[in-house]
Amino acid sequence: MATTTATLTIASTDLLTDELSLSTTCTLTQTGTNTGVEDTTGLNRKKITSTAKGTASGQITLYTADDFAAIPYLYIKNLDTTAGNKIFVYDDTSTGDPLQFQLDANDWAFIPMHGDKTYKAYASNNPTSIEFMVIGKDQ
Amino acid sequence: MATTTAAVTLSSDLMSANISVAASSTLMKAGTTADGLDMIDYGVIDIVTGDQFDLLDADNPSSSPIAGVMADKANKVYIANHSTDETYYVDIMIDAQAVGRLYAGDWMFIPWRAEDADADIEITANTGTNKIEYALFHQGRSLDAS
Repeated sequence: MATTTATLTIASTDLLTDELSLSTTCTLTQTGTNTGVEDTTGLNRKKITSTAKGTASGQITLYTADDFAAIPYLYIKNLDTTAGNKIFVYDDTSTGDPLQFQLDANDWAFIPMHGDKTYKAYASNNPTSIEFMVIGKDQ
Repeated sequence: MATTTAAVTLSSDLMSANISVAASSTLMKAGTTADGLDMIDYGVIDIVTGDQFDLLDADNPSSSPIAGVMADKANKVYIANHSTDETYYVDIMIDAQAVGRLYAGDWMFIPWRAEDADADIEITANTGTNKIEYALFHQGRSLDAS
């Protein structure tokens, strides 16, 4: 069985009077078990060329609904370095394509998803590079 | 200005070559690379099964003198489920839209737009009593009038 871990470290020496040092590690497992996840999309790096949701091309599909069994873990990073150059992640399954997250330059996110919605991304600037990966159990 | 960094490391032996992905960012205020987020709300709380709670309140009443201070900013949210029973989990929603599910031991780190007063981060425990740790990094928010 594969072992996959995700470690978060948040640190600051001047946000609080005392040093902030927060670290947590989780082992990625299949739903409701201690069995490790088995599949991944691998690490992707792509250019987003669409500046609006719902247009015909240029958006990036990060995850397709029900591609993985719950819980798929999504990692995303905006590789742009200019402040204000944002990536917008929206739910392409629900009515109205609601916006879920916006990542400014250098922002990243790690999200254990429900897995039943398709996530797509567009950007404020064309092109904007994104890095992403989904880890879970394929079905 | 405060300097706060958030880093993630993903490691796995799923593939022939080990996966080792690392990303780090300095938490900045919206639209700048020179001024860091300088405020934090941090807590640990038990969430019992059944009820839905606002874990973090977007709270931008138009009547407030500082209305909208969080809206569309560079807020960052960390949530971890410290339950130890692998069947325990909580659902995380924003404005009633499901955005995540945290089983025991799982954590998430997301940017939070808090675009309007409805964009609260909501939490529902579905099994047992879940011990939840959370932190909000932000550049200012309104408080409820007493």
